[in-house]
Amino acid sequence: MMHAVVDSLAMIGVSYVMGFLFYGFYRQLNARIQRRWGPSIWQNFFDNMKFFFKSETLSHGPMFFFGPMIIMAGAFTTVLFVPFLKDSTWLQGFSQYGNLILIIYLLVVGPLGNALAVGSSGNPFGVMGVTRGLTRLMGLEVPFFLGLALVMLQHETSSVHAIMAAQDGLANWGIVTNPVAFVVILLPFIAAQNASPFDVVGAPVEVYAGPRVEFGGRLLGVLMTQNMMMSIAKLVLVVDLFLGGASNVLVLIAKAFSLFLLTTAISMVFPRLKTEQAVDFFWKVPLGIGVLAVILTVWLPSWSA
Amino acid sequence: MSAMLRLLFFVVSLSPTLLLVTWDGSLSWALIDGIRLHLTLTPLAGFFLTLLALAAPLVALPMLRRPCDWPSLVLYVLLLLGMQLLLLAGDFVSFFVGWEVMTWSSYLLLLRSSRADMETSQSFILFNLASAFLLLAGILVFFSLTGDFAIRSLAEPSLPQALTLLALFGLAFLIKVGTLPLHIWIPSSYDQAPDAFSAFLSGSVSKMGVYGLILLPTLFPDALASFAGRFLNGPAFGYLLAWVGVITSVVATFKAISQEDMKRLLAYSSIAQVGYITTAVGVGSSLAIAGALYLALVHTLVKVLLFISVAGIVLQTGQRQFKDLGRLIERMPISFFGVLIGIIGLAGMPPLPGFAAKYLVFVSLVDARWLLLLAAMILASTAAFIYCYKLIYAPFLGHANSPGAKEAREAPWPYLVPQVILMGLLVLFGLFPGLAIDVLIDPVLVGLQMAPIGAESWAKLTTVYGGYDGVVLMLVFGIAFVLVTGLFLLLRGRMRRAGSPYDLSFAGEVPTADTPLHYGAGMGRELRRIPLVGWILRQGTRGFYLGLAGQMRAAAALLGNLYVGRPQAWILIAVVVLAASLAARAMMGGL
Amino acid sequence: MYHKTQCEGFQCEQAMLEVPGDAETVREGVLDKLIAWMRQRSLFVLAYGTGCGAIEMRPLMTSRFDAERFGIIGAATPRQADVLVISGYLALKTLRRVIRSYEQMQEPKYVIGLGSCTINGGMYWDSYNTVKQVDRYIPIDIYVNGCMPRPEALIEGFVALQQRIKQGGKAGYHQYRENIDWYKANQRKALGEEMPPAYTYDWYHAGGVA
Ligand code: SF4
Repeated sequence: MMHAVVDSLAMIGVSYVMGFLFYGFYRQLNARIQRRWGPSIWQNFFDNMKFFFKSETLSHGPMFFFGPMIIMAGAFTTVLFVPFLKDSTWLQGFSQYGNLILIIYLLVVGPLGNALAVGSSGNPFGVMGVTRGLTRLMGLEVPFFLGLALVMLQHETSSVHAIMAAQDGLANWGIVTNPVAFVVILLPFIAAQNASPFDVVGAPVEVYAGPRVEFGGRLLGVLMTQNMMMSIAKLVLVVDLFLGGASNVLVLIAKAFSLFLLTTAISMVFPRLKTEQAVDFFWKVPLGIGVLAVILTVWLPSWSA
Repeated sequence: MSAMLRLLFFVVSLSPTLLLVTWDGSLSWALIDGIRLHLTLTPLAGFFLTLLALAAPLVALPMLRRPCDWPSLVLYVLLLLGMQLLLLAGDFVSFFVGWEVMTWSSYLLLLRSSRADMETSQSFILFNLASAFLLLAGILVFFSLTGDFAIRSLAEPSLPQALTLLALFGLAFLIKVGTLPLHIWIPSSYDQAPDAFSAFLSGSVSKMGVYGLILLPTLFPDALASFAGRFLNGPAFGYLLAWVGVITSVVATFKAISQEDMKRLLAYSSIAQVGYITTAVGVGSSLAIAGALYLALVHTLVKVLLFISVAGIVLQTGQRQFKDLGRLIERMPISFFGVLIGIIGLAGMPPLPGFAAKYLVFVSLVDARWLLLLAAMILASTAAFIYCYKLIYAPFLGHANSPGAKEAREAPWPYLVPQVILMGLLVLFGLFPGLAIDVLIDPVLVGLQMAPIGAESWAKLTTVYGGYDGVVLMLVFGIAFVLVTGLFLLLRGRMRRAGSPYDLSFAGEVPTADTPLHYGAGMGRELRRIPLVGWILRQGTRGFYLGLAGQMRAAAALLGNLYVGRPQAWILIAVVVLAASLAARAMMGGL
Repeated sequence: MYHKTQCEGFQCEQAMLEVPGDAETVREGVLDKLIAWMRQRSLFVLAYGTGCGAIEMRPLMTSRFDAERFGIIGAATPRQADVLVISGYLALKTLRRVIRSYEQMQEPKYVIGLGSCTINGGMYWDSYNTVKQVDRYIPIDIYVNGCMPRPEALIEGFVALQQRIKQGGKAGYHQYRENIDWYKANQRKALGEEMPPAYTYDWYHAGGVA
């Protein structure tokens, strides 16, 4: 019991710290690419704390208030259901009670709860943003899930622990044994992180900041925190599935960071797509690769056998 | 007097429950020489009877509200009796009688609505009659093969025989289920039926088609596993059925998003959900059948809940279009929670049971290695989030858009009691995903001679592909929620409630009551710009049926050419036909 | 060069209102200092760009001047912003929007007036339709003068604002809260019929606790 509590707090702490440092790094790198100095690496922490200590917060009623609470609780739950380390009793949270499909659905629970808050604020721009978000989700989820299904099929299980355990040694890493699946999920994964070029939903200049239009003060702080934690949960999930998991925190940070660098490198050089362009893209390119992968790795072997 | 009658009606609506509790053994008597009628409760029928027992009294409650429409009550009783007969039937004669009673009483019930128009009622009865006649034809073929009406597995059917049976029965049940392109009677009739009765149409009557669909493979030995060979790791014929189901769900989901009327949206979502069930039946493994049954259970609970909540909204506001509603969250909070729980179940979000059902189906698809189907199903179930959001945003959030919505009060208790009960059930099944498996689904799987799923405890859903624990999930989420809210309130600083619903960031503007602020009607319209979705939404089955009608007319004209005025021609035709048939018989070695 | 030390005419209204600094008397704990420090490291800017001075706001964020290194970054909506930059002259029509945006920001909030126009009307000093002195309508924390001020000047303004925030004490929004009647009277005089509805500000009177 005590172990579970300490472990959960540790996971939440680790994901938060990793979250703001990664995003701080992102802003720094982005600045350097644009030949600026850029903010310090702690900038996201400062921003976050500033919002938490705003002295005034506007609310549009109970549902509006509970939306960010739901999304935050959703982020905590997601983090706690993703195993951070393998072969360790630490940083496991409650992951043995969950599975991959559950995690994928948990990623959406929070945002949908927040969508209720956006709706109850009565701001049409917010709802427009939510609709865009859901539309993008509809686009990205199809190839993303197909890629994950390829992984589940490869290991014949939906348990993240089992998938991690099967990847002992570099030669058995998912990215080596199942590279197509990684290629299939890579771009949808970037979109799931709400990173450019698929960041039309919350981008400041698009329909007035989209879903966040009415949130300010501490509520915005909550939204920001959950965003950083959720990103880390997703990164760790992909590390678990494709990069063989990690046996200690340093390795975890190193692997997550290299994955983050890869996605960052992609998202820094492409301009933003419109929602429907993004969806169409997902249904053509990543899904096309996915279909090819299914034909090559599932259909052909079963016919030739 | 009237109170007594009401009570009586309510008791009759409990009859499926009574039947479920008291029925044991079987009943059997000779109708005429050589034909025995046979009533028995198989585990499969027992499952669907449970669904009926759940839905019937809950739908009866709102129907009982004064002023009640006596003819509908009588018809509802008839409908219930017909469905019970259908489920008890151990032979095809009682099955057919039950089917017909169900068809006609639901048709007449549909006509009780003042909104039912000619076109809707016609398409309803035409499609359902077609379904009944196909069923009848199937039964006759079955009788000619076995010489008996009892529902049991055929010994060794040849392929053409099996295909004929499959086509006839399959079409009959698929019409009832409403897969593409046989669905066109559903949206308008669910929409125009009396509001409470729509819940029953969608929640229970459509399940009879599902019952038939699962019953059908039991007529053939091993049909669930390998009818017409195997494809990858599942039955090849099932692959076809599964695609029919998935395409139904994808198309119906996008149609649902583009609807502007609450009940029509629910009708299309109903089609989509039953599409998932069809897919799962197509996969046919024990995981998949468990998933199909689980989906059927969840769909019954959710759709009865949603249709009753919507009926309450329509009753209190007099509006059914999304654009005319809004901000009911403050006026109808219980209905809000009803719809909220309903859409969480509908979208298949954890921790409600919709997720357990979807999980089983997804895993069964991975197990069968049908990944493309899985991708298509994910498309439908993710796109479903959009209409789910529309369903809760447009009536309950945003701004009130009509006088009705501005002055509405909470729905009366006959609408609220079923909602509360159903919410409770949904949460219960969500907390204990193993409960439904253990109590309701495993007996059916055993009855179908399949491997049961098994649940090590009620809190857990376990499959060979891994599982999850509903109680832990709910606890973690709940504790996190309480902690987050508590911590948030501990932080310094004031919370201020906006002075007016119009206090919005609106580019420095001050919106007024005249500013169009409700996004309900337009939501999802922009989806048309995605090429695939636009293409789907532009298609209709209307063209298909018009084409069919044209072909029919042409065939009739061709046939009409034979009917010329001259008797010589008639006699000539008769002689030719006679000679041809004689020749045929002679060649086959008859005579 | 004309240089005034004392207020003249209507400008004295403001001076009379300014209670001589009790900023020094406010005792602040470590936590307050820490919070103040983080606040000044992170300023989200709502740029209200109607005047010609707004043209100098764009380079501020670009590579050459890079305000982001001070933690200054643009915000999309007033709800998320900490600093409102009024860039240049305000017509009566835009004044209403500025007031609205300012009131929608969440405290603590600061205003920077950019250009001479915000101070005394600048080259529009005799226009029939331009607001001559913005701080009669909303409190301005920092003025950056010039016509038009260069981005360097603007950055200097921001840095001065950061110093002010770091020191703590009362800022413009305190003044607005305390003297809401005076500000509202001025606004009503200027806007007349066009005054935003009462719900947008009456919570200032109610103490504003939900
Ligand atoms: S101060 Fe000068 S540059 Fe700025 S708005 Fe006024 S006239 Fe334009």
